[in-house]
Amino acid sequence: MAFLEVENVTAGYGNGPDILKGLSLKFEQERTYCIIGPNGAGKSTLFRVICGLLHPRKGRAVFKGEIISRLRTEEILRRGISFVPQDRSLFPDMTVRENLRMGGYILKNRRELKDRIEEVFRMFPILKERSSQQAKTLSGGEQQMLATGRSLVLRPTVMMFDEPSLGLAPKVAQGIFECIHQLKNEGMTIILVEQNARKGLECADWGCVLDLGKNRFEGPAKKILDNPRIQELYLGRKPQDRQEDTA
Amino acid sequence: MTHLVQVLLLGITLGGMYALMASGLTLVFGVMRIVNIAHASFMMIGAYISYWAFKLYAVDPILSILISMPLMFLLGLVIYKFLFFKITGSPRYGELTVLLTFSLALIIEGILGFFFTNIYRSTNPSYATDSILFGPFYLPEGQVYATLSSMGLIVLLWTFLLTTRTGYAIRATMQNRAAAQVVGVNVELVSMVAFGIGIALAGASGSMIAYLFPFYPAKHWEWIAVLLSLIVLGGMGSLIGALIGAFALAISSAYVSFFVGPTWASVTFFLALFLILLIRPQGILGKKMEG
Amino acid sequence: MSGNSISHETVYLGNTGAQKKPLFRAKNVFVIVLISTLFLFPLLQLFTGNINYWLHMLLYTFMYIAMASSWNMIGGYAGYVSLGHNAFFAIGGYFSASLLAYAGISPFLTAPVAGLVVMAFGFLVGLISLRTSGPAFIISTIAMVLLIKISFDNWDFIGGADGISLPLIQLHIKWVKIPFYYGMLLIAMGAVYISFRIRHSKFGLGLRAISQDETKAEVAGVPTSLYKILAFAISGLFVGMAGGLWGYYLTYLRPTIFLNIIVAAKLVLMSVLGGKDTVTGPVVGAIIFIAINECFRTYLGFTELNIVATGLLMVLVLLFFPQGIVGTLKELGKLPQILDWD
Repeated sequence: MAFLEVENVTAGYGNGPDILKGLSLKFEQERTYCIIGPNGAGKSTLFRVICGLLHPRKGRAVFKGEIISRLRTEEILRRGISFVPQDRSLFPDMTVRENLRMGGYILKNRRELKDRIEEVFRMFPILKERSSQQAKTLSGGEQQMLATGRSLVLRPTVMMFDEPSLGLAPKVAQGIFECIHQLKNEGMTIILVEQNARKGLECADWGCVLDLGKNRFEGPAKKILDNPRIQELYLGRKPQDRQEDTA
Repeated sequence: MTHLVQVLLLGITLGGMYALMASGLTLVFGVMRIVNIAHASFMMIGAYISYWAFKLYAVDPILSILISMPLMFLLGLVIYKFLFFKITGSPRYGELTVLLTFSLALIIEGILGFFFTNIYRSTNPSYATDSILFGPFYLPEGQVYATLSSMGLIVLLWTFLLTTRTGYAIRATMQNRAAAQVVGVNVELVSMVAFGIGIALAGASGSMIAYLFPFYPAKHWEWIAVLLSLIVLGGMGSLIGALIGAFALAISSAYVSFFVGPTWASVTFFLALFLILLIRPQGILGKKMEG
Repeated sequence: MSGNSISHETVYLGNTGAQKKPLFRAKNVFVIVLISTLFLFPLLQLFTGNINYWLHMLLYTFMYIAMASSWNMIGGYAGYVSLGHNAFFAIGGYFSASLLAYAGISPFLTAPVAGLVVMAFGFLVGLISLRTSGPAFIISTIAMVLLIKISFDNWDFIGGADGISLPLIQLHIKWVKIPFYYGMLLIAMGAVYISFRIRHSKFGLGLRAISQDETKAEVAGVPTSLYKILAFAISGLFVGMAGGLWGYYLTYLRPTIFLNIIVAAKLVLMSVLGGKDTVTGPVVGAIIFIAINECFRTYLGFTELNIVATGLLMVLVLLFFPQGIVGTLKELGKLPQILDWD
């Protein structure tokens, strides 16, 4: 049995169509996964299912042998799965410290919460400097750090990042990937959705290609990077073309 | 000169009450994106509660908020559960909330009208008509009490929002509902509680206006229009904006009332509303507002 | 949704080849028969007893059909819910009434002008109100009504809060309702026809795109501001005309009659009940609502309970029946041909 697994999940919003159509994926402990695929492939929806924001219509998500797909987000957070949503998704009018405090919302013990916030500050000293600034005044990179830090308050074992580098300058994005790398070295299980697929795959052990709500292909990240067909379909142009427009 | 200061004082003593009314409305809009057209009809319920409490048991109108607030809180929970649980996530949510609360306002108006008829009523505690004099100025005693109590409730509300865990959750939900869900806030429960608080505040306002302004069931239309102008001016969903809007408009309407005539005082609100829409559609402190 | 409606449109417009006599299709025949019947109906006054009650009910229904269809142009097609259409109603009413009271010109002549005046007013208000959207727009329309109400309450020229009385139309009691009947019938036909034309025009398509996603509509090249303001103004036209006649029909005008928020609520409710965003929805909604309301009035009596019932009905429709009658039937594929003009 895998560490975290989604089995045959079909899911969608409201009365809308199915976004995920019988998706099955397995995630092993202490590894890093990168999920790629075009817009609307269901990447974010998959995350929402795993962290309990969306209950699947069919199928289930299993974590450490326990079915979690009927649990509330709060209960899933308690089990050690954290989610850093797209666009950072902070509380703009709250200070950095208050945002981190919200990260530990489900902790009832104030003392413990305080310690953990200090821990996050040690990891991101810049956040400590800005601790009484409102989140909306932070730069894009700092906001991503805050969003990451907010999830770390709960000391999760699995972290899911939805497009962490979106809208960031390449240099800043690089910092984020380094941070993900560090978390990986600390033994965290990381699932990453990245529009910069090349970058994401480089930082991952395993890659999956999601399209039209189904798992189209999976394999070691290196293999996916080198697969010419996937390159053509999902990775866009070759790296040498790419450098031109970042210059 | 004395006149100008006197009018300013009168405006300020009104402002506190407007601020309380607008706070409840803003809270409900901020957390749930519900434009509660029925807010003022809940105020009318509060007004009737304090009216009968005074008439039957001689309960002081300001103390009667201790009765009206818990009752209204419970009513708020029930109404939220029945009306709004179903429609969360609907693509036409914003519009639906307006239409639903509009219908709710009609229902409350009709029920109040059925039981209490359409005659004007007013609670008459001893201080309702007295004035506090100092130097060349006077302050209507009842208005002062009402404004002070209102400000007291606002301070309580803010303390609650800024220090308690539920307060954090409410503010988080106001600022970013999706992010609040991600960190494990049960936004549905928080919404229900916030709705209850909003309605309880409406009840409190109603209890206080009951002795300052004569009321009848359909009076709420006049109030709601004023309040909606206030929160649009304040940039819907911003509590501080609502406070500023409340005082700004209370004071300007006091001047209009003094210089142009009392009947035109409420015109100030609507003109201000249109002016704001013309110059700065997002309000004083608001970000972009959409359903 | 939109793809679906486009195919409807092509079916409708594409009747040049396969069906050579589009005029005699069942639903066109139905409309011709219906209109002729309605035009001939007052003749019964000659042969049977007094049918003034029925004339009254019908002309009242025509008026609301016209107004609900008009409301639907902005509230349904464009998705901008207005709770302020009674301001248009009042301005139309007072415009014609003043001209009758001070210049002696019959509202039957001035009602169309009243419509145009209201349209111009709607255009001006729209310039401001339609800078916002969603809840803020709705609020601004409510504010518009209250602003007009306060102004009218304090405007002595038109009688202030006491209102204005008009001379009775000089006709025998037996005929007195008939001109109003035809007037309102024409206004209703005009409103429904314009609503139909808009629904099948590029303009209508633009409005419905705005209702779905305004940013996308803008990007796709729809002049959103202009379209919204035009729709708002046009939706005032027939409401203003109806107001002009209704004031004369009542023979007195008071701000509380015309600027009662219930009037605006009815327009919304009728459209939602029948089905917003459809041509026939507001018509069906108006007829059913007035029928139900008349029953309530007869059996319940109390106006307060009437208000409660209106509110409850609205809640139930919104929660359980948001597509309305026409919309729901259409979705189930059970909409009778004669009601399907979308």
